[in-house]
Amino acid sequence: MGLLPDEAKVLPPPGIVNRNSVWFGLCGWATAMLHNSLNRRPALKAGVHRQALFITVGWFIGYHLTKFENYKYATLDRDMSEYIRLHPEEFPEKALKTFAEIVEPFHPIR
Amino acid sequence: MPLGRLLLRTSAVNKKVSRNFFIASKPDPSKPNMLRVGLAFGSTAVLWALLFKQHSTDVHEYKTQNGLE
Repeated sequence: MGLLPDEAKVLPPPGIVNRNSVWFGLCGWATAMLHNSLNRRPALKAGVHRQALFITVGWFIGYHLTKFENYKYATLDRDMSEYIRLHPEEFPEKALKTFAEIVEPFHPIR
Repeated sequence: MPLGRLLLRTSAVNKKVSRNFFIASKPDPSKPNMLRVGLAFGSTAVLWALLFKQHSTDVHEYKTQNGLE
């Protein structure tokens, strides 16, 4: 984990196929196809090496972005849980009402 | 003034942006620059290998950290 601290190692790593990777890969592919069409080349069949490289770069960035995102959300969750644990007076247990107590009496008009 | 002298060098260093009229040519799709193609595919393979290695390292570290190994 390059930019992440060591405590991030307890988090499960994302799979090779993950949301950000797929999205960034598709964006890279769209960039390569746009590059082709702006240079008046056939969009899909030209510059396959460029398409492959852009998809790969996007996929790579997406994987590390997913790891970073998981770590950020995990720290937020940890801080929130710690706050809730330290301030129980702000989170009282609400008395649950059944539907029978809330609902108005039913008078059918047929 | 020295900055102006430096900026005069741009025509020597960015031949891709401003092409010399006497030696410029249209890019020819039938003669691909195999060095560039090779570098592109090579770096693609390197990046995929790095990704898979990083993923397996991460999985191993996760398992050892949580004592699942």
